[in-house]
Amino acid sequence: MDTDQSRRLFSFPFKFPNSANVRKAAVYLSGILYALGFWLFLDAVIYSKHANGSSVHVTFVDWIPFICSTLGTLTVNSIEKNRLLQGAMSSDSGITSFGGDLDSTMAWQARSVLFFGLALLAGGLSGSVVVLIIKFLVKDFNTYPTVGMGVNNVLGNFSILLSCIVLWIAQNMEDEYSYSLTL
Amino acid sequence: MELKVSPLTKIISLSGFLALGFLLVILSCALFHNYYPLLDVLIFLLAPLPNSLFGKGSLDGADFMSENAGDAQDLGHFLTGLFVTSGVALPTVFYHCRLIGLMSCVMCTTGGLVIYSSIVVFSWFFRSSWEQDDALFS
Repeated sequence: MDTDQSRRLFSFPFKFPNSANVRKAAVYLSGILYALGFWLFLDAVIYSKHANGSSVHVTFVDWIPFICSTLGTLTVNSIEKNRLLQGAMSSDSGITSFGGDLDSTMAWQARSVLFFGLALLAGGLSGSVVVLIIKFLVKDFNTYPTVGMGVNNVLGNFSILLSCIVLWIAQNMEDEYSYSLTL
Repeated sequence: MELKVSPLTKIISLSGFLALGFLLVILSCALFHNYYPLLDVLIFLLAPLPNSLFGKGSLDGADFMSENAGDAQDLGHFLTGLFVTSGVALPTVFYHCRLIGLMSCVMCTTGGLVIYSSIVVFSWFFRSSWEQDDALFS
């Protein structure tokens, strides 16, 4: 109990939920959010094909933000998190020894891949907003059943971004958990 | 723990439950002559698969000795959440796109959830019965 008190960094009255069950729930939530984004987008596509009363249709342009978001999620979450941490530690020490050089190269690669993935995610979200504005709002398709296709696209991409964030937090939580186990 | 149900009763009642789920989904297709909701059965049959494939690494030794077991489990949980939400979302999306009616949507969602829950309860029953056997032998 006493060591537990001294090891805490923040003085919040509650404990941080870093158990395995919370991590599992967060991963489930991430999957649910991703499926929600996928189906929101697919709803727009099927609506455009089968129940569309207007002259606007979903074409390949609407698919591009979704594909960007999915690729970004895949890229961000397939990075080994230890590489980023390792690079931070080696750059803090400032010694470019034989091993440290290799570490910093690896960390630089990991950071650029992470940047690429996050850029894909942000590009997906902003791309869907651009499609909504240029394809629907500028051409005065303001009434709901028609503009709903663009809105669904934005919401779906936002949901995929949210899923990626939740998955990232869950995996970092796992690192903390295993770290406290090894201590 | 006083209630003692024999495994045979469990299997029979669960299979009845499963058949009820299939009945609901197939009725939701056949009553309206529209066989799109049948895809829901496929999704809900696929849904328990990732957890049963990747959940084997959850033996206590493999859980925190190797990191790959945790990653595989994460993938399994992610896919499970994805499939279950897809199964619920598919009839809703079809209803919104006017491919199927409201009655068909409700029946299909209920039937799919019944199928999935009966599969989950099946695996849960028999895992707990194996654990009871372990406790009995040790």
